[in-house]
Amino acid sequence: MGSITALGIVLLILMIIVGGKQGITSFLSMVVNFGILFFTIVLIAFHLPPITVTIVSSIILLSITIFWSSASDNASTTAFQASVVVVILIVVIIIPIEYWAQVGGFGLEDSEELEGLSTYVGINFTKIAIATAILSSLGAVAEAAIAIASGLDEIISQHKEIKSGQLFVDGTVIGKQIIGTAVNTLFFGFFGSSMALFIWFYGLHYTFGEILNDKIFAAELIAIVVSLIGVVTTIPVTTWIMSFKLKKLHKSQLKE
Amino acid sequence: MCVMDAKLTSKMTWLQILLVIAFCFLAAFFCQHNDKLYHQTIFQVSRVENGKAVKMTDEFQNVDHYHSQMLYGKITNGKHVGKTLKIKNSYSDSHAMDHQYTKGQKLFITLHTQPRLHATVKDIKRDAPIAFLFAIAISLMFVILKLRGITVISSILINTILFWIAVKIDHTNNGSAVILIFSILAVIFCFVTLLLVMGWSKKMLVTLSAVLCATAATILITLLVFGITHEKGIYYESMQYVTQLPKPLFIAEVLIGVLGAVMDEATDIVASLATLKQERPQLSRMAIFKSGRQIGKSIMGPLINVLFFIFMAETLAMTLLYLKNGNTWHYSFSMNMSLGMTSSLISGIGIVLTVILSSVFAGLWIKGDER
Repeated sequence: MGSITALGIVLLILMIIVGGKQGITSFLSMVVNFGILFFTIVLIAFHLPPITVTIVSSIILLSITIFWSSASDNASTTAFQASVVVVILIVVIIIPIEYWAQVGGFGLEDSEELEGLSTYVGINFTKIAIATAILSSLGAVAEAAIAIASGLDEIISQHKEIKSGQLFVDGTVIGKQIIGTAVNTLFFGFFGSSMALFIWFYGLHYTFGEILNDKIFAAELIAIVVSLIGVVTTIPVTTWIMSFKLKKLHKSQLKE
Repeated sequence: MCVMDAKLTSKMTWLQILLVIAFCFLAAFFCQHNDKLYHQTIFQVSRVENGKAVKMTDEFQNVDHYHSQMLYGKITNGKHVGKTLKIKNSYSDSHAMDHQYTKGQKLFITLHTQPRLHATVKDIKRDAPIAFLFAIAISLMFVILKLRGITVISSILINTILFWIAVKIDHTNNGSAVILIFSILAVIFCFVTLLLVMGWSKKMLVTLSAVLCATAATILITLLVFGITHEKGIYYESMQYVTQLPKPLFIAEVLIGVLGAVMDEATDIVASLATLKQERPQLSRMAIFKSGRQIGKSIMGPLINVLFFIFMAETLAMTLLYLKNGNTWHYSFSMNMSLGMTSSLISGIGIVLTVILSSVFAGLWIKGDER
């Protein structure tokens, strides 16, 4: 048995112990997400337009992550709508930034790995960098959207008569609570995944300017800061959608 | 009254939006004109002459086009400031290792003075877009989070400095004690971050111990599984940018990578359980544990996916290149994505263990009368 299978089994058992049926669903959502992610890469390898493929699969990935979580119906629908809006916003920000910074493809640090590989494959790697940045933000955006939507849904179910203005204030309070820790998840993920690169930079005495302008570092930094922007904007977007729904609900109740 | 409030806030937001835009462009503008801060020679392109494209096909029938261009412009810093140059550059459609340069861009160049002044392009200057993006992120945090933004930003800053110090110590030890160094760093990270998020309290200590125990247990389980399976299917040779022994480095990477998510979760669970116990002090330890599991159950799935996407997305470009170079799906996965997958699974184990441990610790140590 391979190590990956063994680790997967350990994780599945632990998830069943903690979550029961929900544990199995959460595990499956990760497996299915992996399948979709790999399929996305294969489609791009078949020369389908990378950014369009990524946006379509992002929406599918978000729906799986959000609807297979244990959030209530109202909360998960709101979270899904909010996260789609945020991902579109991320796409709008990331496309000009990536073309401006030109961080697509590989850097000098990759030379050893690229040995024996043909890099002239006819796929625009700037677009691949855009796809990478969008995909790496999905989990964080989905998590933030679920947390805020669930919190607000809880408030609505306890105080049915709450004004949508008050809900907006509550949303910001919940958002402030989650943001501090959500930022940590992102940045530690970034520190962890680029630790080898940092050691490389230090070992080869890169100056601050060289690191900042380095292609690989810039690519990772842009991806993480864009995710951060995504998480921060998820707060008002989710709250806004939730209070909009509440307003509509109140109106329809008035008519009755 | 309400209408007036709304008007006031909307006015505020417009002012804020204008300020944000001004701040972002100011940051980018500064970076566009900071050439004097660099030791490397910088060259600004003022005119581009594009040459003809040549079609080429590699051994895997991938079609690409090779273009050459002539860049005309001026050196903007250093000894040769103001001198005009023309530099030849070539690029492909795929931009994998090359760039197409356009008018107005600033480039780092290597100058050669023999036999006469000429140059080759090293790389493009990227600080302006990065500063612009940072400015957006920082101002959004202040607009949406107000004062809380300061805590968040200072926590990032402190952690970055600590991380850099650890990298420094690791380098002076030639990577011989990488796990030990980053374990100590992990403890300091947790302490500082939780102190900033929760303040000094019993709640914070409970969270801290849950985080540390869960992370330690995760690493032990990982090593155990690696031992039993003889690390079959783990291709350390596929790790990128490795300058020291890969296995301990990989463990250290996962250790730091999962820490944020584990803290995130433990803070959530312990804070909710403390509130619960305060409202209903008669709840038994078992009941507290059960509600902790209930909370954890709903957040663990999305949280695992956060790290999954961070670890997996960055393997996209290399996997794609492997696929386009005629490798099988299985080989492309093994050589690029398997380590990302392993990290995601280990992180998942850490996240689930945190649910159990923070619920247990909260049940044992949090009493109703405490604030």
